[in-house]
Amino acid sequence: MNRWFAVTPSAAVPRGHIAHAQLLGQELALWRSASGQLNAWENRCPHRGVRLTLGSCSGEQLRCQYHAWRFASGSGQCTLIPSHPGQVPASTIHPAVFAVFEDGAFAWVNPTRESDARPPALSPPGTPLRSIFTLAPVATVRQILREGYAGQAVSLLDEFTLDVSNPDAATLRFMLQPVTRAETVIHAHLQGGLAAAERLAVLRHHNWLLGAVRDRAEAAA
Amino acid sequence: MITLYDYELSGNCYKVRLLLHLLGISFTSRNMDFHPGREHKSAWFLKLNPLGQLPVIDDAGLVLRDAQAILVYLASRYDTAGTWYPRQDPAALGRISQWLGFADGLTATAGAARLHDTMFVEVDIGKCRAGAHALLRILDEQLWFAEAAGEQWLCSGQQPTIADLACFPYVMLSEEGGISRLPYPAIRRWGERVKQLPGFIPMSGIFPAAAA
Repeated sequence: MNRWFAVTPSAAVPRGHIAHAQLLGQELALWRSASGQLNAWENRCPHRGVRLTLGSCSGEQLRCQYHAWRFASGSGQCTLIPSHPGQVPASTIHPAVFAVFEDGAFAWVNPTRESDARPPALSPPGTPLRSIFTLAPVATVRQILREGYAGQAVSLLDEFTLDVSNPDAATLRFMLQPVTRAETVIHAHLQGGLAAAERLAVLRHHNWLLGAVRDRAEAAA
Repeated sequence: MITLYDYELSGNCYKVRLLLHLLGISFTSRNMDFHPGREHKSAWFLKLNPLGQLPVIDDAGLVLRDAQAILVYLASRYDTAGTWYPRQDPAALGRISQWLGFADGLTATAGAARLHDTMFVEVDIGKCRAGAHALLRILDEQLWFAEAAGEQWLCSGQQPTIADLACFPYVMLSEEGGISRLPYPAIRRWGERVKQLPGFIPMSGIFPAAAA
């Protein structure tokens, strides 16, 4: 599917962290190098198939936990095979690398791996809410959201994107990440900034509302 | 010298070893043949702990069972900075006790699922896994909002407490019981922070954070 999906708020992957994600059944190691470059790699070492999310970040490289092979941020190119330290690893040795893009709030991945185009205008400046993992397919989550959110109408922008537009309030956008056929992450983005004094209360309020969406979707799934 | 009646593969023994290392306290491990020998149910051990459970410590004649109780004792007795179990802060003690109870819930669900998958213990595996996911969901939410408030640990403040250590092992070993942590990104970040504590030690199934 040649399109971009939000896979995590950017702030959820700090420098040196390897996050574990899944998109359309494909497991991803989402990791950020010491210099800040975000990578979305197939979660599988090209050597013995061990999950790269078990490994560790070492500056601009990811180190596999099993045999300590190292892979470079950006290209994914293998840079070191410790059992053959004098040998330059072949250029064919790298994990599958996915296109990844950050818009300032969220990280987006294109599962086709071919697209070098940028995703269309995405989230405007604002506040990412807590993303909610839901044991229900995208279609079920979308259906529950379309029934309304906190008494407000929800409009469908496309299969994976919905908006709550209330003339009295900031636009709230939902971006659905298809994890597997049976699981969905609801990412949400509140347009505009939040005053420091009310920030945590607003985040908690939406977490509560989205938790209720999740519970209804899981009951319906 | 503290003697720890220990089992390498036990998450509850590991949390005691971890605190001893973090506090820099030397101790002797008495390794028990938990599986398949069931040494923890032997007559001599039942005299130390009639519940027949690990871990147990013996500190100069003071014999204590129950991992959470042992953490409370060790931190109170040996943490000179008083941050792992802040005895002067009633609110913190209340919060810590809440998560020590939660850790027992993790043992009964995620821990039991792991015993089922790795040591053939008979349990209702579906119920254990569902129970573990219900707890991990709560833990992930707690940690996400801690981060949102600029904090890093389970109980508010800038220092880790024994609450973090009590919950850590059976969370990090959950996949050995067939419980994926993919849905819990805030738990993953917290786990990395625990691994970066000075004096951190790994155990079988829990990897260090960075290359040695």
